[in-house]
Amino acid sequence: MKLLGFLIVLITGAVLIWATGEFPDWGDPGSPASVHVSPRYIEKTLEETSVPNAVTSVLADYRGFDTMFETTVIFAAGISCFMLLRLFGKERPETLHYRHLLTGLTIRVRRRKQSPEQLEEFEPMDSLWTPHDLILRTLCRFLIPFIQLFALYVIAHGHHSPGGGFQGGVILGASLILLAISQDMQSALKRIPERTLAMLAALGVSVYAGTGALCLVMGSNFLDYAALAGLFRVDPVEARSLGIFLVEVGVGIAVMATMILIYHNLASEGRLDEGL
Amino acid sequence: MIDFMVVVLVAAGLVFFLGGGVGILRFPDFYSRLHPAGKLDTSGSVLAMSGLALFVLFPITLESVLTSLKILLIVVIVFLTSPTATHAIVDAGVRAGLEPWQKPGGQAEP
Repeated sequence: MKLLGFLIVLITGAVLIWATGEFPDWGDPGSPASVHVSPRYIEKTLEETSVPNAVTSVLADYRGFDTMFETTVIFAAGISCFMLLRLFGKERPETLHYRHLLTGLTIRVRRRKQSPEQLEEFEPMDSLWTPHDLILRTLCRFLIPFIQLFALYVIAHGHHSPGGGFQGGVILGASLILLAISQDMQSALKRIPERTLAMLAALGVSVYAGTGALCLVMGSNFLDYAALAGLFRVDPVEARSLGIFLVEVGVGIAVMATMILIYHNLASEGRLDEGL
Repeated sequence: MIDFMVVVLVAAGLVFFLGGGVGILRFPDFYSRLHPAGKLDTSGSVLAMSGLALFVLFPITLESVLTSLKILLIVVIVFLTSPTATHAIVDAGVRAGLEPWQKPGGQAEP
């Protein structure tokens, strides 16, 4: 059986390698991919959209529909993760753990009556151990603002350099996931509650689709940003660049919120209490 | 002269990376493997990156100085994050109850 599998793998691999001989050469200007629409994108991007980065203009303008539904797919992924994993109405366990904030001691409380929840110097702990490490907390505290600044740069500079809404949104989401790992999930949820996250994910998609619909209202095609020229008081070419930026912001918001939503649900098995 | 220094620095960095790679493969257990992993991240990258920063520095213009400063910024970020990551991984290993490797037949720790 092993020998048979090995033979099949060998033959399939050999056929695949043999078929690569039919491919056009690397960078061949006569290959089908290079003679169809690519030259138009490469030559006309700057004068039609005033965006130096051809990839960004192809993604958000020439193929705006494609990217819009990609964003919708990400939104759907976050929502389905929420639907599948989220647990509501958790039962309170018999014993509860509280940490004394001043000394770091953990106390265990048997009954609900004695719970020191109302005292300020105790914080409830959902599981027995939480990361409570000074080095990690300090470093993450120091790094997270820079990570977020970089994410905003990636979103805003997507016209000129590699990057854009998807990448910037992922970095932004990762910074908040880092917060949830280095401190605990409660403090991350205090910054952006779950309800806000879901709202933001929907808002991001709406910003994208809304920009397209705005063009429709202004009397042009869906996602034809040149129609926004009158609104922004710029010429139509500049308006395309601004429209792409608006759309990228929407993508960034949706991706960030979805990333955090998926992490929170996965890491705490849908209870959103403590996490890993 | 500058080219010579660049070559020496990058080559020294590569020596650290090679040693680190060998160490990760050859050391006996989790904790001791983390030692070369942390080492090559810091000392290997500081040597190689400073070589590259020196390479782009000449001729000195505003642009080239900015580029080499950006390269050095990478070193700063790596120096902050890599030891912290190593610390966190070791911490996780200790908390998970992983025993450090000991020489077979060697003296047990008191």
